[in-house]
Amino acid sequence: MRKIIISFCFTLFCCSLAFSQAKKPTIMVVPSDNWCIQNNYMMEFDNQGTLVKIPNYKKALQENTELLLVISKLNGLMAERGFPLKNMESVLKSLESDSAEDAMIASKDMGMGAAESPVDMLKKVAKADIVMQLTWTMNKRGPKKSITFNLQGLDSFTNKQVATATGTGTPSFSAETVVLLEEAVLSHMDNFCNTLMTHFDDMALNGREVMIRIKKWDDWESDLETEYGPDSDELSVIIEDWLADNTVNGRYNTTDATENMMNFEQVRIPLYYERKGKQRAMDTRRFIRGLSKYLKSEPFNIVNKVTTKGLGRATIYLGGK
Amino acid sequence: MKYLKIFAVLFALILVFSTNDANSQSRRRARKKANLETVQWRYEVQGVGTGREGTYLLKVWSYSKSPQVAIEQAKKNAVHGIIFKGYVGVKQGVSTQKPLVNSLVAAKEHEQFFKKFFADGGDYMKYVSMATDGAVAASDRMKISKKEFKIGVVVSVRKDELRKELERQGIIKGLSSMF
Repeated sequence: MRKIIISFCFTLFCCSLAFSQAKKPTIMVVPSDNWCIQNNYMMEFDNQGTLVKIPNYKKALQENTELLLVISKLNGLMAERGFPLKNMESVLKSLESDSAEDAMIASKDMGMGAAESPVDMLKKVAKADIVMQLTWTMNKRGPKKSITFNLQGLDSFTNKQVATATGTGTPSFSAETVVLLEEAVLSHMDNFCNTLMTHFDDMALNGREVMIRIKKWDDWESDLETEYGPDSDELSVIIEDWLADNTVNGRYNTTDATENMMNFEQVRIPLYYERKGKQRAMDTRRFIRGLSKYLKSEPFNIVNKVTTKGLGRATIYLGGK
Repeated sequence: MKYLKIFAVLFALILVFSTNDANSQSRRRARKKANLETVQWRYEVQGVGTGREGTYLLKVWSYSKSPQVAIEQAKKNAVHGIIFKGYVGVKQGVSTQKPLVNSLVAAKEHEQFFKKFFADGGDYMKYVSMATDGAVAASDRMKISKKEFKIGVVVSVRKDELRKELERQGIIKGLSSMF
């Protein structure tokens, strides 16, 4: 009897391990470029002769109390729904602190610093899988004030708007701006979460939407028009066939294709894969590794390198590491 | 004479009790009809303001031949509306909201839960309160036929708590449920 109970408990334990959960996207609230321009939080720099303006988020977070209030309120409401957000101010501070630490650290044996390529340096920015882009403007009509509020959920990799909430609040004679802002957040948050939930439901049903790029190194003698296999198929066609076999319902879209590069958008990858009898969460990196291994194998034998960006974008460089 | 007095007192008592009984029976019938009308979606919900954090401020229009029953039924209709119907904002700045349960299949699957939840004195009472202590403005009290009133009552519904309870019961999914 004891053996039966132990076996049953063990089976239940194994079942609980067998069912994994999908990779959770990170979300971060970011003020929009429009808001930063209206409130004079932009910085300029010379990019090889061209004057480029970019938002100065650090200055905005340090100087604008209303921005901190709105971000805090949004973060709190999302955390209450079981989805805590990344706080932009904390991310920026962590990046600065990590940079300082990396600059100081040296190995015990040879006193060497940490390896860092130019690409690594470019990736040192505050990022999230979904950005909640925030814009608000104060409207004044005589003594009455109201706030027009716009909250957009933008997928960082597919560049699609996956959630939204927008509207103008109740005009008021006496309420302070911060009170109007708080009311705007409270009245729009549920609609935003509903549209975000629709996006997640679509993800559960049709797979995660990602972007995949194929590029080649300059010194690789072959290209995407090179023919392989007994049917003499071009490499670009072989890659498309692999995507058709491995995406959810064969869903992908070839947006660009030349002899040197291919871009695939609206690629739907499964949320899970199975390994050693266990179901695990899939992301773009894991998915593209399948293509990488396929290209390394016979009859292609193409050495390649994979780089990824968050959960939703991957690039394969053909012809070397 | 003495017997006449006793008879008169007894007759008065019987009259009072039978009137009360008739009134309470009438109210019971009105409440039963109101519950049926709730299930048949015969009520309207409007958003009239931005409530405090975690709440919706609504005006609920209910129908009944008894104004008192309509006022009481407004609470049930408010929670029922938030769960199954959603509402339209009637003032500037008040957003339209979708229902918490927007699938009829989910509503059918959890029929037993909702039957108990919306029973008279059921758990729905935890999530709703009168915003004006039950006072009804004169313009919100309309007689629409010989035997029926349409009463508008402003209530506050604790939608965050209600949503969490529905997530706990597995009726709706939370934002992070699949992760």
